Amino acid sequence: MAAIFNLNHPAHTVHWHFFQMSVSNIVVIVLMLAVFVIAILAPFPGHRQGGGGS
Amino acid sequence: MSVTGERSWTGRVREHAVAALPPEKLLPDKQPSYVASWIYVFGVLSLASLAVIIGSGTILTLKGPQWWHFTGVGHFFNSLHLWSVELFFFFMVIHLWGKYWMAAWRGGRARVWVTGAITFLVAIPCALTGYVSQQNFDAQWISTQAKDAMNSAGIGAFFNLTNFGQMYSFHVLLLPAAVVAIVVAHILLVRKHGVVPPLEWREMAAKARSPERTESSP
Repeated sequence: MAAIFNLNHPAHTVHWHFFQMSVSNIVVIVLMLAVFVIAILAPFPGHRQGGGGS
Repeated sequence: MSVTGERSWTGRVREHAVAALPPEKLLPDKQPSYVASWIYVFGVLSLASLAVIIGSGTILTLKGPQWWHFTGVGHFFNSLHLWSVELFFFFMVIHLWGKYWMAAWRGGRARVWVTGAITFLVAIPCALTGYVSQQNFDAQWISTQAKDAMNSAGIGAFFNLTNFGQMYSFHVLLLPAAVVAIVVAHILLVRKHGVVPPLEWREMAAKARSPERTESSP
């Protein structure tokens, strides 16, 4: 199957003491943290800043 | 109602269900204003990816392994199923982070938190039995390596990872049914208790700074 990136090789891994994780796994975790922060900080359409509860 | 006037168990269940969840609570058309934040979207994103998982998984089950291995459309549905699982965990974990940091178990919502946690814990073996059911060399490797883990935990006799029939059955029927059942309970509890209001940081900080303390406070 044609792929844009060569997928037929072992994953690049990060080793640090006991910590061992593939680079792609680290990228996904960093992405999740970024999405979490953006979800909290990004303005929501139609929401009035400092608006009270119902 | 029977001739004697006694209510049947179905009547009692109906009245209890309607009392707990009247239609306007079961299917609300309004939400609190504090729900207007992107962090509240991750619950429904998890649900949407679960729907794609169940749908694509159903089609894979109906068509069988020769279809998903050897046809283009089958391969596409196989990939759809895998990537919807990846998204399900992506969104569910962010949903978990949001709910943890906003202490969403407040206000009598402990069962909402517990059903959410159990969903997460049950979804993990559901995904892992899927990895073991791929019918490729990767799955064979996973099953032989993880067999050691199950044996070391003492459950290897009951949960045999190299028994394809058992792993496939767990993955297709038992664990998805458990996930869906617990998710339904989770959502009904959210409907019953409502979305938790945000932590009131300003009030909490003012209280902490206040020199006045009541006798009941620690």
